Amino acid sequence: MSPITLTLKERPKVPLEAETVTPDAFVTMSNEQIRSSLVYHGKRHCRLDDFFEVTGEFSDLIEMHGDLHRVKLLGKSMSRGQLKVYGSVGMHLGADMRGGRIEVTGDAGDWIGAEMSNGFIHVHGNAGGQIGAAYRGSLRGMKNGTIIVGGTAGLEVGMRMRRGTIVVGGKVRDFCGLQMKGGTIVLMSGAELRTGAWMVRGTILSLQPLPLMPTFASSGHYNPSFIDLYAQELLPHGISLPNHASAGSWSRHCGDSSIPGKGEILIWNPA
Amino acid sequence: MIRITGGKIFDPANGINGQVRDLCIDGGKFVSSVIGGRTIDAAGMIIFPGGVDVHTHVAGGSINFARAMTPEDHRRTTAFIRTQSRRSGLGGMAPTTFATGYLYAGMGWTTVNEAAVPVLSARHTHEEMRDIPILDKTSCVLMANNEIFLDLLEAGEFERAKDVIAWHVWAAKAYGVKAVNPGGVAAWKWGKDAKQLTDPIEGYNSITPGTIIGRLAQIIDELGLPHPMHLHCNNLGAPGNVWTTLETMKLLEGRRAHIAHLQYHAYGGDDWDTMRSASAEVAEYFNTHTNMTTDAGAVLFGDTVTITADGPWQHLLYKLTGRKWGNLDVENETGCGIVPYTYRPSNLVNSIQWAVGLELLLLINDPWRIFLSTDHPNGACFWRYPEIIQLLMSYDFRKDCMTKLSPIARERITLPDIDREYTLYEIATITSAGPARALGLTQKGSLGIGADADVVIYEEEKDIAKMFSHPRYVLKGGEVVIEDGDIRATPEGREFIVKPSFDPEIESFLKPKFEDVYTMSFENYPVEMERLEHADIRECINGQAPSPPRTAEKEPDRADEGVEF
Amino acid sequence: MTCTLGEVKNRADFIVYWGGNPAECHPRHFTKYTLMQKSKFLPRGRKDRTMILVDIRETKSGGAADIFLQIRPGKDFEVLTILRAILKGQHVNSSIVAETGLTLEQMTDFIDRAKKARFGCMFFGMGLSMTRGKHMNSAALLTLAAELNAFTKFVAMPMRGHGNVTGADVIMRWQTGFPFGITFNRGYPRYNPGEFSTVDVLVRGDTDAALILGADPGATMPQPAIDHLARIPTIVLDPKVTHTSRLARVHITTSVAGISAPGTAYRMDEIPLPLKPALKSPYPTDEEVVRRINEAVARKPHWMPADGPMTIMQH
Ligand SMILES: [Zn+2]
Repeated sequence: MSPITLTLKERPKVPLEAETVTPDAFVTMSNEQIRSSLVYHGKRHCRLDDFFEVTGEFSDLIEMHGDLHRVKLLGKSMSRGQLKVYGSVGMHLGADMRGGRIEVTGDAGDWIGAEMSNGFIHVHGNAGGQIGAAYRGSLRGMKNGTIIVGGTAGLEVGMRMRRGTIVVGGKVRDFCGLQMKGGTIVLMSGAELRTGAWMVRGTILSLQPLPLMPTFASSGHYNPSFIDLYAQELLPHGISLPNHASAGSWSRHCGDSSIPGKGEILIWNPA
Repeated sequence: MIRITGGKIFDPANGINGQVRDLCIDGGKFVSSVIGGRTIDAAGMIIFPGGVDVHTHVAGGSINFARAMTPEDHRRTTAFIRTQSRRSGLGGMAPTTFATGYLYAGMGWTTVNEAAVPVLSARHTHEEMRDIPILDKTSCVLMANNEIFLDLLEAGEFERAKDVIAWHVWAAKAYGVKAVNPGGVAAWKWGKDAKQLTDPIEGYNSITPGTIIGRLAQIIDELGLPHPMHLHCNNLGAPGNVWTTLETMKLLEGRRAHIAHLQYHAYGGDDWDTMRSASAEVAEYFNTHTNMTTDAGAVLFGDTVTITADGPWQHLLYKLTGRKWGNLDVENETGCGIVPYTYRPSNLVNSIQWAVGLELLLLINDPWRIFLSTDHPNGACFWRYPEIIQLLMSYDFRKDCMTKLSPIARERITLPDIDREYTLYEIATITSAGPARALGLTQKGSLGIGADADVVIYEEEKDIAKMFSHPRYVLKGGEVVIEDGDIRATPEGREFIVKPSFDPEIESFLKPKFEDVYTMSFENYPVEMERLEHADIRECINGQAPSPPRTAEKEPDRADEGVEF
Repeated sequence: MTCTLGEVKNRADFIVYWGGNPAECHPRHFTKYTLMQKSKFLPRGRKDRTMILVDIRETKSGGAADIFLQIRPGKDFEVLTILRAILKGQHVNSSIVAETGLTLEQMTDFIDRAKKARFGCMFFGMGLSMTRGKHMNSAALLTLAAELNAFTKFVAMPMRGHGNVTGADVIMRWQTGFPFGITFNRGYPRYNPGEFSTVDVLVRGDTDAALILGADPGATMPQPAIDHLARIPTIVLDPKVTHTSRLARVHITTSVAGISAPGTAYRMDEIPLPLKPALKSPYPTDEEVVRRINEAVARKPHWMPADGPMTIMQH
């Protein structure tokens, strides 16, 4: 299948909601159907081709070009295929995603992969907050899948996540892993405050020192074998986790005791 | 002017069981004939009087608190899209006001009784009710835990207590009086509960829940309120509470009373592990005591949010489920609690609750005295009523549903042994004619000449739940509001209120008490008439209790050969 | 876990003010509701109550407090989380505790007193909800209050600003299901604070017009939001000329609610109070202006396609 390409021709003045842009939808659509599919420019109902040049049809490979930072909900609930964005995207990228791959060369807004149940998202630039999180009031964040952010990330990364993996290359802001119930968050450059606050279960790995909540208790240093499994999984994405005893060890902190929770934060101490 | 021709009429208030008759409507009421106007051809269709919900929670501080606590539900539910003539809204566990009107009317219900209004925030409740389109409303004000009232009972000042109740009913612009867990809510404000009728009440010496219940029922009868005391019994939801319920019923002999959501009060056993259905005991007593009416408070499996003025029960739920919990206490009067909850067939307690609601509806043999309700949103959301109707009308469907229950659950209930199936006539009784009668709303629940022209027209259909969820037409006050699943008009509803008489001197007694316990000035306290949209004042005759509930005559033979349900 | 102010007045023997300065911001709070009143249950009034003030600096309210707990700026969330851990008898890392400005003894004493209270109430102000951590700080306090109910009766309540903020919140909830942060662009309400809340929409420049009612964002919001308001057509309804009016295209003078316009105000505990106007105003009420704008808009072609569905099932 040759990819469908969407090239931004008209920058939206207010946010453009484009959850129609998914491989699941486009694989069954002709070029004309794709062009005429419904997007919301603020409150106005518009055609996709009011904003994008569209080539291709009947494919689950989508490529998008342009500054899409005002374009929201791309790849929402997608379950197959691939969405590749050459540029930046707005909020809710891959929210409720069930499968397939999303790759973004630029930055992304808040709520990427929110409440996703499977799939793979890679943002090369910076991302906003609430990555893989639960929407307000909901008890369940991401249930599975992988999200990789090359740059920095905002508040509440992995909030209430259940399973799956989030890796952030740059520094992360407050409340990373807030109320998380499972899964793994890997912080290559550490985080600001309140990492792991109110966590119930799950694992946060940090390669840099972290300020810890007073409700986490230190429980020694070690080089657990499960880190090697993570390392193997992440290596294909260009991420390497240290674990060799000669290079250092992980200090383990358990919490959050205010819940009381059985989560763990592992911080790497180079030898 | 509208004429509805050729429909099969089910009008229990007038003893009509499936006869084909024409209905004529003019000026919002049924009349004997009309000339000209629209004709609705209802040939082959089934016609009911508009539904009346005797016990629901659709407006006011607590349901509004529940809305705030459940954004995740609003996101997954039906959304009503704004048009030039209709406001937007969200359905779900705690629907928004506009959606509440659309959803009730959409299944043919045209009158609702908001069952729990704290006096202090009655103004809020009325403002919300104005934003519920289409439906006519009544409301019950919460009095059984009002401290000024309790102090008077403690002091033995009965006449003055009566004036206080009457004054509050009028101040709140209410229609009736609700008593919730009498004595128990007052105690809850100290984190305590009063479970049995003879339990002492924290903060008082002589009065017990039993005193409050007896006295309040007497006061309401003597004030001549059209709706009797609306009672949420003590010990709600607890295993073994059947004894409290039966004691309460005995205490009420010789008095009128409406016992709310009976399902939550009909459990046997000693604790959660040994809990069993006690609906047979309750139904047996109830069947032989015609002074009372009740509503089912049935439970359906699925998600809901529980909200009640019964704080102790809510805290118990919170402890059992660990789900998020909100509690709202209103000064001097009452409190309420809110917990999102999922009823599951795999859960023994939930299975018993599900069965008990249906058992009561099936074992209580007089459809004029038990009404369809889920205590919305506590047992299930009101828009799921058609599912309950299907359960009542089809023994086979009930059997299918019971296969989901565990063998242990099936041993603890009597539902498998009950093969009664409701007729359409009986459904029309428990959803409309009966509750209208219990509320004393003489112009509701009837298709007779002079009654309000609230009508629902169904296309006969084998799938009962589908038929009752999607009426072909709904008329409210003679106006077509629903047609072919579309909302055609959203007229404003009316509010029925009562004005019981009281000694005006009671105000000089109350005013200093207010300054003592309330934080609102006495003058600001009563709700002004201007707040109400289309208020309709019902008369009460002091000292003259309306007659006790109507009881069933033999159901007349059905006139047509209906679909075999 | 909240209650009306009358409950506090009649019953609360343990009162906490967190991140608020009632002595200056809500001057009648102490005398009318919380501290000074005597009641059937608290016959000795002030003597029967304990008041704890938690703040980052000593304010005028401090004089009224039995105990003042001074915490380091931005440490509210940590303190509240430690309190939750102490309540459950859990271990806390005492070396990090010091960073909060309080000692473990002070916090243990707080919990002991709270548990022993017959009826506890916590009020929280902007000093909690508008500092680093924002809604999570409020969530921490509300959770602590809920958890204290395992031991005694405990409630919590926000001390909101003026101008009937509570009323707006209450009505939005019954009409839309959500208190704020709502978009109607699909023809029905959707909610996401941070995405649809006014300040965020303005800072990102996500709107192309603004109608401002009973607020002065030109004085209170961050500069990028103010800049955007100046860029787009902004309409202000206010009895007086505000900072926002100065950068708006249109200012409409309206009468003052409560003084010359009737209505309902909702107190911070959501108790509705009638507004009974004493004076006549030459200016229209906010309600009248909005109604006339609405009528004018209704004469234009409707923006939703007429053949669209009546309802949709969201997912
Ligand atoms: Zn109820």
